[in-house]
Amino acid sequence: MSISSGRGYISYMYQLEVADLSKSFGPRRIFEKVSFSLNTGQGLAITGPNGSGKSTMIHILTGLGRASSGVVRYTHDSNMLSFEEYRNRMSVVTPYHEFYDAMTALENLDFYTRLAGLEVTGQEMMESLRTFGLGERGRDRVAAYSSGMKQRLKYALALLRRPEILLLDEPTAYLDQSGKKGIFDFLDSVKSRALIIIATNEKEEAGFADHVCQLGG
Amino acid sequence: MIWKWFIFAAMAAVIILAFVLPSPMDPRLSLGPVDAYRIFYFHVPAAWVAALSFMVGMVQSARYLKTKDMDFDRRAVAANRLGMAFSAMALVTGSIFAKMTWGEFWNWSEIREVSIFILLLIYGGYFALRSALSDDEVRATFSAVMTIIFTVAALFLIFVLPRIYPAFSQHPSDTIVDNEGKMSLSPMVALVFGLSMAAFTALYYWLYEITVRGSRYFDKNRLES
Amino acid sequence: MPTMSVNWAGRILTVFKKEMLSEFRTRYAFNAVIMFSLVTLTVVSFSLGMNRPGPEVMAALFWVVLFFAAASGLAQVFVKEEEARTAGYLRLYAPATAVLVGKIIFNLFLLVCMAVLLVPLFVILLDTVPQNFILFLSGLFLGLIGLSGSTTIIAAIVSRASVKGALFAVLSFPVLLPLLVAAIEITLVSLVGGNFAAAWPPLQLLLAYDVVMITLSIMLFDFIWHM
Repeated sequence: MSISSGRGYISYMYQLEVADLSKSFGPRRIFEKVSFSLNTGQGLAITGPNGSGKSTMIHILTGLGRASSGVVRYTHDSNMLSFEEYRNRMSVVTPYHEFYDAMTALENLDFYTRLAGLEVTGQEMMESLRTFGLGERGRDRVAAYSSGMKQRLKYALALLRRPEILLLDEPTAYLDQSGKKGIFDFLDSVKSRALIIIATNEKEEAGFADHVCQLGG
Repeated sequence: MIWKWFIFAAMAAVIILAFVLPSPMDPRLSLGPVDAYRIFYFHVPAAWVAALSFMVGMVQSARYLKTKDMDFDRRAVAANRLGMAFSAMALVTGSIFAKMTWGEFWNWSEIREVSIFILLLIYGGYFALRSALSDDEVRATFSAVMTIIFTVAALFLIFVLPRIYPAFSQHPSDTIVDNEGKMSLSPMVALVFGLSMAAFTALYYWLYEITVRGSRYFDKNRLES
Repeated sequence: MPTMSVNWAGRILTVFKKEMLSEFRTRYAFNAVIMFSLVTLTVVSFSLGMNRPGPEVMAALFWVVLFFAAASGLAQVFVKEEEARTAGYLRLYAPATAVLVGKIIFNLFLLVCMAVLLVPLFVILLDTVPQNFILFLSGLFLGLIGLSGSTTIIAAIVSRASVKGALFAVLSFPVLLPLLVAAIEITLVSLVGGNFAAAWPPLQLLLAYDVVMITLSIMLFDFIWHM
């Protein structure tokens, strides 16, 4: 057991096991008996037509949503991680999570990193914003951000956590070409030490995955 | 289901005896018409069942939170639904009795009357909350949590209010219990009253089971259709 | 595997500061609470007109105004998180208890602001001066702690429901009833100039209520927050 410090990454092997996962909203079945398993260093693309439950699947994998039946288990050295434990290693980018409009980008980043107990300096936050092309706009309120800029900000937050588990739902939504490139660079840089799940129908994004999970037919 | 016939027989016996026997109240001590006191055979068991049902609802809610088994949610709902009906019954019979003897339907300083009214408010809130939540599991969890908060608040009310207002209670049940001669609990009255309590409790249990089975059936069909 | 120590005080403070910052910039809950208490107070003093009811009525009216003002704004702490869809990240980054306690403290702050404005107005408009001011303030403060301590979790509950405002008042009222009874009693004693001994039973009740309700909220909040 060791503690990661500074900018250095110490990577650990995590495993995600999903077994016989089903979800229905009342009488409506979304998906049924989905199973897969994934290790650190691997990527999984969840694909399927609209309404096949990609976002629902991501929501369940974050631990915030509940499946109707089945098992989701994050393990490390075959020890099962609690929600508290795995969410501390997880970064999530989905269209369903937003930042506080009334606060600036930097204030938002500061808020979340403090809550998570991450020791992050203002310098590092600026750097993270710069990585995703928001270096000039850190002191603007999020209310003044466009959809694409908000999407970039989500990655800036994700980067600060140095995620070992990365859950992405439509990772390049709203992004222009330079934005997409930034995201792909980011994914390249973390791929070897993270477990990545991407819900998407874009070929380019699914290219980061070694495995595919097809929902809905 | 043989013993639902026993409930029927016992209920019928209670209803007949309650009107055929002399009034449970001594005419010399009666406030208002002495026959008004016959309501005691129905009012007290209804209030008892309402209280019992509230406790059942609370226990089932706690069990739901512990196990996340939907069946306990169905049980909690059944208990609260019946609790609401029996509270309403106790409230109406109590008000009628109050009008006949004390001269007014409603008195805010009467703690038991107020308590049962608050119980109805709680049930109203419970069902309003349930109808405002669409996801099954969220609905079950939130209403179970709310039930436990309500229960703790109700405990504060029940145990602490009479201490703050010690002088207020003019409710006759104080005198039934300690039997100081105001209300004569003759052996026959005690027997009918006991029968009525048993019949109400059994009726409650029967209704409760039938409601639970009904909602199980409903949920099963809803999932399969 | 890296472990992280949880600094509770620091995280509660972080949540509280975030609430203050975004409230200071939008003044959404603050305006609602202040305006609602002013309107209710005006309605009360207007409808009383020339009548000068006794201290019993005054004590009750005071808490009625507080209750409705609280019901108008206290649900915002969670409702705005759900409406702005910020609750997701909050769940992923903050321990549940820190969120709840931070928001209870923020709601208490809101109520204290309201009381600072309301008490002088009450004294002026309704010509009611508490004879025992220390007792009055003690009862008021304990009451406000209970008010925010027991309703903040209800705010979390209604934030996921379809009719939020009305439901918040409906669910809060039965829960707050013991508090209101005790607080009105203390206020009454303070209005007529009684001492602490005279108000001891309701003070005890209020203290017990505050402790029990806040503990219960913390225990139950996990169920609600992680749904």
